[in-house]
Amino acid sequence: MNVYIPILTLAGLAALFACFSVTMATFTGPKRYNRAKYDAYECGIEPTPQPVGGGKFPVKYYLTAMMFIIFDIEIVFLYPWAVYFDSLGLFGFLAMLLFLVNLTIPYVYEWRRGGLDWD
Amino acid sequence: MGILSLLILVPLIGSAVVAFVPASPTRSKQLALAFTVVTFVVAVVAYLQFSPGGEQFQLVESYQWIPALGVTFSLGVDGLGLVLVFLATLLTPLVILAGWNDVEDAQAQNGDSQSEGQVRGYFGLMLLLLAMTLTLFTALDVFLFYFLFEAVLIPVYFMIGRYGVGRRSYAAVKFLVFSLSGGLVMLAGLAVLWYVSAQITGEPTLYLPELIDIDIDPTVQTWIFWAFFIAFAIKAPLWPVTTWLPDAAGSSTPGTAILLIGVLDKLGSFGMLRFCLPLFPDAAESAAPVIIVLSLISIFYGGLIAIGQTDMKRMIGYISISHFGFIILGIFVFTSEGQVGSSFYMLGHGLSTALLFMVVGYMIARRKTSTIAEYHGLSTPTPLLAGMLLFAGLTALALPGMSTFISEFLVLLGSFTRVPWVGAVATLGIILAAVYILLFYQNTMTGKVTEKNKNLKDLNLRERVALAPLVVVVVVLGFYPAPVLNVLNPYVDDVMAQVGATDPPPTVPLATGVQP
Amino acid sequence: MTPSAPVAFPDIQWLQLAPIIVVLGAAAIEVLVEAFAPRTSRRSIQIGLTFAALIVAFAIIVINAGTFQLVVAGSAAVDGPALFLQGAVVLTALLVALLMMERKVDPSGDAFAARASAMPGSEDERQFTARGYLQTEIWPLFLFCTGGMMLFLSANDLLLMFIGLEIMSLPLYLLAGMARRRRLLSQEAAMKYFLLGAFSSAFFLYGAALIYGFAGTVSFGGIADAVVGQSQMSGLLLGGIVLLCVGMFFKVAAVPFHEWAPDVYQGSPTPVTAYMAAGVKVAAFGAFLRLMYVAFGGEAWEWRPAFWVVAILTFFVGAMIGLAQSDIKRMLAYSSIAHAGFLLLGVMAVTPDSLSASMFYLLTYAIATVGAFGIVMLIRDDSGETTSLDAWRGLGRTHPLLATAFTIFLLSFAGIPLTAGFIGKFTLFASSAAAGEGWLVLLAVIASAIAAFFYLRVVVIMFFSDPVGSGPSVATPSWATQTTIVVALIVTVVLGLFPQAVLNIADHADVFVR
Repeated sequence: MNVYIPILTLAGLAALFACFSVTMATFTGPKRYNRAKYDAYECGIEPTPQPVGGGKFPVKYYLTAMMFIIFDIEIVFLYPWAVYFDSLGLFGFLAMLLFLVNLTIPYVYEWRRGGLDWD
Repeated sequence: MGILSLLILVPLIGSAVVAFVPASPTRSKQLALAFTVVTFVVAVVAYLQFSPGGEQFQLVESYQWIPALGVTFSLGVDGLGLVLVFLATLLTPLVILAGWNDVEDAQAQNGDSQSEGQVRGYFGLMLLLLAMTLTLFTALDVFLFYFLFEAVLIPVYFMIGRYGVGRRSYAAVKFLVFSLSGGLVMLAGLAVLWYVSAQITGEPTLYLPELIDIDIDPTVQTWIFWAFFIAFAIKAPLWPVTTWLPDAAGSSTPGTAILLIGVLDKLGSFGMLRFCLPLFPDAAESAAPVIIVLSLISIFYGGLIAIGQTDMKRMIGYISISHFGFIILGIFVFTSEGQVGSSFYMLGHGLSTALLFMVVGYMIARRKTSTIAEYHGLSTPTPLLAGMLLFAGLTALALPGMSTFISEFLVLLGSFTRVPWVGAVATLGIILAAVYILLFYQNTMTGKVTEKNKNLKDLNLRERVALAPLVVVVVVLGFYPAPVLNVLNPYVDDVMAQVGATDPPPTVPLATGVQP
Repeated sequence: MTPSAPVAFPDIQWLQLAPIIVVLGAAAIEVLVEAFAPRTSRRSIQIGLTFAALIVAFAIIVINAGTFQLVVAGSAAVDGPALFLQGAVVLTALLVALLMMERKVDPSGDAFAARASAMPGSEDERQFTARGYLQTEIWPLFLFCTGGMMLFLSANDLLLMFIGLEIMSLPLYLLAGMARRRRLLSQEAAMKYFLLGAFSSAFFLYGAALIYGFAGTVSFGGIADAVVGQSQMSGLLLGGIVLLCVGMFFKVAAVPFHEWAPDVYQGSPTPVTAYMAAGVKVAAFGAFLRLMYVAFGGEAWEWRPAFWVVAILTFFVGAMIGLAQSDIKRMLAYSSIAHAGFLLLGVMAVTPDSLSASMFYLLTYAIATVGAFGIVMLIRDDSGETTSLDAWRGLGRTHPLLATAFTIFLLSFAGIPLTAGFIGKFTLFASSAAAGEGWLVLLAVIASAIAAFFYLRVVVIMFFSDPVGSGPSVATPSWATQTTIVVALIVTVVLGLFPQAVLNIADHADVFVR
């Protein structure tokens, strides 16, 4: 059981700290309200307009970014494979082939469904 | 297939037939009646095959069910089981006959629209309840018992909630929550019992005759005993877990109330005798003082509150609480007189409750209300009804000559020989019984008849036929209890031997007529 | 640069891995179907492929029965529990797939948005709906999720387990956001599920890292050796166990990591909710059992006290907050939380008996859950499903068969005899009592009694209250949903009366391979 003592102590300390800071803040903190204080984010940035009936952002960036990540990872795997090609042999070759096929499937999907058309 | 399976199968098939074969309400009722009569005949055959004083468990059948859990489908009866099987199979056809128009009456009381399916459902559930009750009284495997102990709540729940009157859904839920909580506590006990048996015998078993032979550690016994006892005490309500019963009684049709309180609630006291005592003798003995006090409280609590009731069915509910106090008292004084008395009391209470509820049901059928104040001076327009109410009431207060007298006398005798002051206190309960019964009779039957009650019709043939067998049985057993006592005495000897209790030496010679 | 010594290649046990390969392979093919098949035939191809893959996978699982070995250099296990629970997952998936293909209850299509990418309430969405589009991507996502579950519960090292966890979860995040009706609620559910899911994955990974630091290996067998070999409890080990468990508690929705469940269950399309409540629970508990039994079983007395607290909190909070719910899907969510609490009894007992009991419990719970959600799909008004309990008033009068079926599922959840839930509860509690946790069983039965009360509330509403207005409007489902409900019903009742065959299978599958 004694292994639980540090955990329980820590949990107690954390709870104490949380309670302490919340209570102290209400008692000692200065209370000067203005419009910015009432905003959702106090740091001064305007909350983003809601997509519904508001602004739009192009979803294409996401598709491109995801494409990039897919091929990025592919390269990360392909380099070491190329270096160790000899010792990895047929097994490595087939495994890499399988990996590439799997990677191609979503690529084909995105291409066929118009993910690469910018307009 | 043995006779006990047949006994269960007949009402089970009957329930399916009644519930699902589309027939007119009258035809459905006739079908239900026919199936219950056949069941009774099978029960009589079973009684004839039973040899009193032979093996403790007879007519035993056992089938594989869930070997993985060491669980079998085993049936068998001992003396008490046999008597209760007799009670259940006798009462059900009479209840159907007496409650021929229960569904329609309840609909009239609730102001519901008539629908034909309701009749089929009600009587189908009643047969299902009978089948489950018979399985419970004959179950030899604790798992099988528990299985049905919980499952039987479902038909009763619908019989109260769907076909009852007044605050029926409240009463149904209350009934279920109480019983289910008790049942789940018992489940914990069952789980422990299961693994204890596995520890001791190497293979888990819940087969009662095998379990009786194993010795369980006293501390573990105490835990399991209380887990079981709480479930049983809720069922055969023992103060302080009684509050569901008056509500259930008040919101049921008379027929449901008879089967619930007269038959099904016997499972509690039956379970104490069949499981709690033989399986956990040490724990039972050490728990006895507490339980005796609780049952004394029950006797007075039920009796006192019964006096103040304004609703007839609730009143009978409280009377039953008082009687269950006597039954449980007799079990836990650990004398053979007390236990024979309790066992006999279970039968007697079933009969007297049935009589009371039937007569009250007849009154309700005439006036569509169960408020006591609505009735006055009924002996003038309906003398036979009044006479039957008096008879039923005298059965309930255990007048000499009624079967209940013998049982109450034996319980008190058993208590005196073990703990004299307990016997003395319990005897005072009899006075209460006289008060609530006679007051009730006086308020409803005697005096000048009121306007609303003037034109009531007396009992018709169907109603008389339903009452007659009960009257006969009560009186015959009151003067000649041997057929039942012959079965119960050896049974109680077995239980006493399993508990390891012996009767205290008699200080005065006992009456020979009832001496076991 | 000179290549080092030749690498030792693992053997790949194709047959043993075939169920997972078939399901994931079919999912990949379905992605290609999405790319090449014409719109009109896509749906039928996808459905055909999905069912074929699931049935073939199930057949191979049956063929593999009795296998007891580690595969692919010890990174995955194909043993009794894995096969039993994979079978349970595939069966659940088959029933859920039937719910997913239901098109008759909603006049405008199935349970999923016509185009999930269209903004809720936009003109695009209205047009897509009017044209009767059906989203067919749900099928590959569903199969990926199923394959992930199968991998998750047979993974025998922390990394593969994490991969299984992610393959299972990622498609579910998407599916959760695809409801046809109440789309904002659905998207909110998906967002919550995704954020908290990602959060819990991070916990899991962190825990895995700490355990690697302690044991120097991620394989369960290696961890178990290291755990037994140590003389004193190490901080790395304890921290690792705690963090891994937090990740798992999130997935199984154990208190205090349960808050997402009601919102997500409520917002997701009902077939997906059914899959989350049934499939995910089977898979996550399967993995959890393996993790705690195989890797940390030797240290059970150290982590058990923490489990006591979590289990007690879980079943009590689930049962008590469930009492106050007025929405049937939220109520079932709390019910699933309470059940997670009961199942934790099986996880912490660490005996073969509790393993087989937990597996049986999972199977019965999963099947009944799918059936119950199948019925939830049918109670509707103009705006879609009405999950408010008020809409269920008088269902017993107007639709007695449906109400009876739902009652049987509820009774099974409550653990009342005649239903499979009772046998599950009995075996689980008995094995837990045998493991010396009798007092915990007592608390669990008290929680069951409380939980029974809220199941009964629904029965009261259905049978004892009068229909409001014209009564609940119940859609007539096609054969697909009917099949699901009937099969779930039959399984629930048959396993309640004659559980021997399945208990036997579970009993023979009660050891993890190491």
